[in-house]
Amino acid sequence: MDFYVGLAQLIGVHALLGLSAYVVLLTGQVSLAQAGFFAIGAYAAGMLTVMAGWPLLAALPVASLAGAAAACAVGFPALRVRGLMLVIATLAFAEVVRLFFFNFDFQVARAGVKVGPLGGEGFRQIRYFPENAWTTLEVTLFIWAFVAAIMALLWWFDRSRFGTVLRAVGDDELAAQSVGISLTGAKVTAMALGGAIAGIGGGIYAHYTTHIEQANFNILLATLAIAYPLVGGLSNVFGTLVAVVFVQGLLVEGLRFLGDWRNLLFGALIVLAMNLRPSGLFGARGA
Amino acid sequence: MNLLQSAADGVLFGATYALIGIGFTLVFGVLHKINMAYAAVSVGGAYCGLLALSLAPAAPAWAVFLLAFAAGGVLGLAVYFACFHFIPLASPLATLMSTVGMLLLIDEVIIHVTAGMPRSYPAMFDDVMLQAGALQLRGDLLLVFAVSVACMGALLALLYRTPLGLATRAVSQQPVAAQLCGVRVVQVNALTFVVTGLLGGIAGALIGASVGTLSPLLTLPLTVKGLIVTVIGGLGSIPGAILAGLLVGALESLFQHFRGVTERDIYVMLLLFAFLVFRPGGIFGPRAGRD
Amino acid sequence: MLELKALSRHFGGVRAVDGLELSIARGEILGLIGPNGSGKSTTVNLITGLFAPSAGRVVFDGEDLTGAPTHRRVARGIARTFQNIRLFGRLTVWQNLWVAQNSPADRAERGFFARWLGGSRGVRERLAGLLELAGLAHRRDELAASLSFGEQRRLELARALATRPKLLLLDEPAAGMNAEEIGQLDERIRRLKGEGYTILLIEHHMELVMAVADRIAVLNFGQKIAEGPPPAIQADPAVRKAYLGSDAK
Repeated sequence: MDFYVGLAQLIGVHALLGLSAYVVLLTGQVSLAQAGFFAIGAYAAGMLTVMAGWPLLAALPVASLAGAAAACAVGFPALRVRGLMLVIATLAFAEVVRLFFFNFDFQVARAGVKVGPLGGEGFRQIRYFPENAWTTLEVTLFIWAFVAAIMALLWWFDRSRFGTVLRAVGDDELAAQSVGISLTGAKVTAMALGGAIAGIGGGIYAHYTTHIEQANFNILLATLAIAYPLVGGLSNVFGTLVAVVFVQGLLVEGLRFLGDWRNLLFGALIVLAMNLRPSGLFGARGA
Repeated sequence: MNLLQSAADGVLFGATYALIGIGFTLVFGVLHKINMAYAAVSVGGAYCGLLALSLAPAAPAWAVFLLAFAAGGVLGLAVYFACFHFIPLASPLATLMSTVGMLLLIDEVIIHVTAGMPRSYPAMFDDVMLQAGALQLRGDLLLVFAVSVACMGALLALLYRTPLGLATRAVSQQPVAAQLCGVRVVQVNALTFVVTGLLGGIAGALIGASVGTLSPLLTLPLTVKGLIVTVIGGLGSIPGAILAGLLVGALESLFQHFRGVTERDIYVMLLLFAFLVFRPGGIFGPRAGRD
Repeated sequence: MLELKALSRHFGGVRAVDGLELSIARGEILGLIGPNGSGKSTTVNLITGLFAPSAGRVVFDGEDLTGAPTHRRVARGIARTFQNIRLFGRLTVWQNLWVAQNSPADRAERGFFARWLGGSRGVRERLAGLLELAGLAHRRDELAASLSFGEQRRLELARALATRPKLLLLDEPAAGMNAEEIGQLDERIRRLKGEGYTILLIEHHMELVMAVADRIAVLNFGQKIAEGPPPAIQADPAVRKAYLGSDAK
C-alpha cells in the first residue's frame, strides 16, 4: 500500500513539472529549462522551511515566485532564439542551474546541527513533514490538492482568450502579430507561468523526498518535463496528466521487476512511442 | 604551467569537440533536425572499439580506433532508422524526443554492459613530448589533433569533391527540388548519419585516448558540449563547428586553469549564453537566428 | 492617412524598395501594382512592421510608426491579409476571430480582468456579426484548416476586420479565385469602402484593380514609376514597358 501512495506522490509532483512545460509548449517554445525552475523552487522552499523556520504554505509561494523570476530571466533572451536553438539554450540553462547547485554551499546552524545545501552532497534533512507530524496520506492529499488546483486553473485559461492567444502564437507567429498580439507579452507570460508552476512543484518535491541534490535535476528530468505534454498531446491538460501516469506508473514503476533494465526500456519506449504516435496520445486538435 | 600551455593543450583537445560539433551541425544542415543521440553514438562507438581488446588483448591502439570508427558508423545508421526514417517531417518534436530516447537507451546499454565502471583506453604516443618553443606538446594530443584534422579534411573532400557530397548539399538546400532532380534523398540522409557516425566513433575514441579512460558519465556532458560548439559555430556551418570546437577546447582549458574543474563548465555555458544573446547565428551564421 | 516617405529597404545588394514616396488619403482605395519582384510585398511588410526600413519613414494618421512593433501598428488601426492565407489552422473559425480583439476600443470594453480571460458581450456580438457577414456562422466551431479556399479567404478578411482597423492592406486577395469569386470580392471591397475603410490593394488581377481603385501606384524594381487614376495608368507607356518589356502596343 505504501508503495502505491509513494507512487501517487511522485506522479503528483511530476504532473506539476509536466504542466509547467505544457503552458510554455502552447506558445510553440520547446523549453528544457523547466527542470531548472523546478530545482530553484526546490532549493528555495527547502531553505526557507529548514533554515529560516518558515511554514511550508508560506515557503511555496516564494518558491513559485523564484521559479517565475528565473523564467522571466530566461524568457526575454529566449525571444531572440527560435526552434531548435531554444531547445539547446534552455537545456544549457538547466545545466547551469544544476552546476550552480553542485557548487552551492550555504549552511547555518539550527539546534546545534548544520543544515542547508552542501554542494555535491546536496541538501539533506528537509524534514518539514515528519517534524510537523504529517501522515503519508496527508502529504499525498496536499500534493494532489495543488495538482488539482493548477490543472483547474490551466483548464480555465485554456477555455479563455488567454489560452487561445497562446495557441495562436504557437500556431503562426506572423499571423498572431498581424492581428495585434504582442509576441513578447504572450511568450514571456507563458514562460513565467511555467516557471511559477515548476517552482511550486519543486518546492513540494523537496519536502516529500526530504533530500535533494543536483543530480536529481539533470537532463533526464528536463526531458521528462517536456515529454509529458508531448506524449500526452496539447489538446488539454489531462493529456499531460495521463502521460505522467503512463510514464511513471506503468513504465518506471510498473517495470520495477525488470530491475536495472527498466531505464533501458524507458529510452526504447520513448523511441517507439514517437514513431507510432508522433502527435502524442491525445494529439493536437486536428494535427 | 602557464596560460599558453594550457591554451595549446586545449586547442589540441578541442579538435575532438570540433568533430562532435561537425556531427551535430551536419545532420542539422541536411535534415534540419538535431540528433540528440549523437554524442551517445560517439561514446558507444568508442566502447565498441574496446571490444577489439577483449577479443585480442594485445591488439594495437590503432585497431581499437578503427573498430570505434566503424562501430560509430553502424550506430549512426541505427539512430537514423530509429528516429528519422519513419517519423514524418511534420513532427519535429517527435523526432527530437525520439533522439533523446535513443540517447537514454544507448547510455543505459553502455552502463549495463560495463557495469558502470570506467574502462581505460589505449593511447598512442602518450610517452612522447614535442618541444615547440616554450610549449610542450603531448604526443598523444598531437595525434588526436592530427587524426581529427585528417577526418575533417576527408569530410570536406567528401562534401565538395564527390557526387554524394554534391547530392548532400543539394538536399540540405532544397530537399523537394533535389528529389525532383532524381536525388535519392533517403539514401543521402542515411549516409549522412553513417558518415557523422564514423566521425563520432573516432572522436569518442580520441577523447578516450587523450583522457586515458572512458566512462559512461561522459555521454551527457559531451552532448551538451557538442551542442554548445554547434551553436557557437552556427547551426549548419562546418567551418563554424571546427573553429568553435577549437575555441571551446581552448577556453575550457583556460577556465579550468583559473577556476578549477567544477566551475569550468558554468563558464562554458555562459559563453553559450553570450553567443545566444549577441550572435544567435553563431560565428558563421546569419545575424539573426534561423529556425 | 498613410504616408511613406523616402522608404527604402535593402537586402544585401538588392534594393527591394527604393526611395518610395506614397500616400493614401482617408477613405480611398489605392491600388498597388507592378511586375513580380517589384517590391509590393516588401512595401506591405514595411507598413506592417515585419521589416524595419533601411531608410525613410512610415507615418500613419500623423504618427511616425517607423520603429514601432507590429502589434502596436495593429492597435493604431492597420490590418492586413496575406497572399498565402495565414489562418490559425489549429484553432476554430470562431477562435480565429476571438484572438483578434486587440484594438484599444475592444480592450476598453473588456475591462481589465476580462481582457485576458473572458470577453465582453459587446465584443462577442460584434465578432458574431463579422462571422455572419463572412457567411461562416454555420462553421464556427470547425477548425480553420478544414475550410475551403474561398471560405478561408473570407475568414482571413473577417479576422482582419476584427481588429477594428482604419486601414486595410489586402495582399493579392484575388489570387486563386475564379471569375465569380472575383465578382464577389469586387462587391466586398466596394462595401468596405462604403463603410469607411481605407484600403491598399495589392493585386495582379488588372481588371479588378482598374474597376475598384480610386488611384493606382505602379512599382518596378522597388521604385514608383507611375501614379494616378486607372485610365491614366492604363495609358501610361512607362507602365506598359515595365510589364511588357518593350514598346509593345
